[in-house]
Amino acid sequence: MNTPPSNTPEADAIEREAASWVLRLDRRLTAAEQDEYSQWLAADPRHREAVALQRWGWEELDRLTGLQTTVNALPDPDLLAPRRFSPVRKFTGYLPLVLAASTAVGLFLWWPHPAANPAPEPAAVPSYALAAPIEQRTLEDGSTVELNRGAAIETRFTAGERRVSLLRGEANFTVAKNPARPFIVSASGVEVKAVGTVFNVRLGRTAVEVLVAEGKVQVQQPAAATAVVTPLTMGQHAVVSLAPFAPAPQAAKLSAAELEQKTAWQPRLLDFTAASLGEIVGEFNRRNPVHLILGDADLATLRLSATFHSDNVEGFVRLMESDFGMRAEWRGETEIVLRKVR
Amino acid sequence: MSPQNPEQARWFVDEVLPHEPKLRAWLHARFPSIGDGDDLLQEAYSRLLRAHGSGPIANPKAFLFVTVRNLALNHLRHLGYERPAGLAEVDCLTVPDEAPGVPEALAHKEDFQHLIQAIQSLPERCRQIVTLRKIYGLSQKEVAARLGISEHTVEAQGGIGLRKCVEYFRLQGYGPGSPR
Repeated sequence: MNTPPSNTPEADAIEREAASWVLRLDRRLTAAEQDEYSQWLAADPRHREAVALQRWGWEELDRLTGLQTTVNALPDPDLLAPRRFSPVRKFTGYLPLVLAASTAVGLFLWWPHPAANPAPEPAAVPSYALAAPIEQRTLEDGSTVELNRGAAIETRFTAGERRVSLLRGEANFTVAKNPARPFIVSASGVEVKAVGTVFNVRLGRTAVEVLVAEGKVQVQQPAAATAVVTPLTMGQHAVVSLAPFAPAPQAAKLSAAELEQKTAWQPRLLDFTAASLGEIVGEFNRRNPVHLILGDADLATLRLSATFHSDNVEGFVRLMESDFGMRAEWRGETEIVLRKVR
Repeated sequence: MSPQNPEQARWFVDEVLPHEPKLRAWLHARFPSIGDGDDLLQEAYSRLLRAHGSGPIANPKAFLFVTVRNLALNHLRHLGYERPAGLAEVDCLTVPDEAPGVPEALAHKEDFQHLIQAIQSLPERCRQIVTLRKIYGLSQKEVAARLGISEHTVEAQGGIGLRKCVEYFRLQGYGPGSPR
């Protein structure tokens, strides 16, 4: 350990000055500061050493760059706030956005959690969990799978069928249509067979839950002697018990709200590279009840690269306001108009 | 600075070099006046290797983009340019990361713990400033805008945050060149 403890007031003061110089050096010194800095360095041999130490610390922190950029595209100053478990923000509905957008002045709206920090707790063990991102995979046949946190799958594709084992957790499948090669998801023996559709399978401890968002699937119980097949269609849901000799699952129709709630874990990560704002807004609008409208025609051609969660309209609008010089305005209950600030 | 050992060289080839074409294209589109940007790239690589020499990098791609971006901004400011109008910095912060599998950040989570904890130990304002500057790579000016405070405050509080982080490292017995 080559850094002596700084326990004297003098050493303390040197460290403070050194840290302050490192910050200034980082943004480049002005000519006047350059002179001042040279003089300061020359004044005491300990100064150079102190700067080296602070600069080391400053660069050491750079190793964290981008720690969170793929999970949440928007800079969150409270990412490492004490006692916050998951840095992934949950979408909290549209009301806060109404308030935010109607008083839009841009930059001051950046607080994702205004005053949400509890008073700092004395020396609590910092708890910080890196949230595993929801993972999206494209399978060899072009089907896509979104894995909820902690989920795992295994694929076995043959010429005759496409078979995926859900080993644990929950996954959402968007199946590429191919009637000649059925797509089968098995979870603890429960088989869900699809041709081309979108469905969700959750493997629990005692049951497998299947939910169909589009198209239809057939659900078969594990090693059922009777081989009962339960067909499920769009908006239907079934819980298949893993208990031996359990009764055949019943298909139940879900309301739109229930469907949304059950699939709320999978906001899609929209990934744009040099996409026009017109396209981006189109994607958002396809996936959200609140629609964005570009008030100035030329905004549609603005290009940007960004990664967003599809449900993060709130964050997206704030970003447009703070970084792209736009103003957001509500029109009725379900429309937000974006305009250039003049 | 070039890779110091075969392991680092392999990491550099696998994890860093593949980003170069996109990085160059982005740099060119974003800062046309900067020319080919070779110097900036070299400087960014050298910083990346130096950082990697002391421990894993959470997100090499983000590190590169943020470093090159900040070097470019500093360079332009030095030449007296104002920041290019129009597109803001977001394009860099939100570089899509298509890296497959588990990011290094997750695989080596414990290697970042002391850094994360140092930031967590800071008073609120310092913590926010250091988080925005280091994890998101925002410039002082951008942090000031996000938090609605003056650049001067960002610099002053950032300095306090830095000193406290270094102090935290010291209490953990972690210093320059200490074995990891």
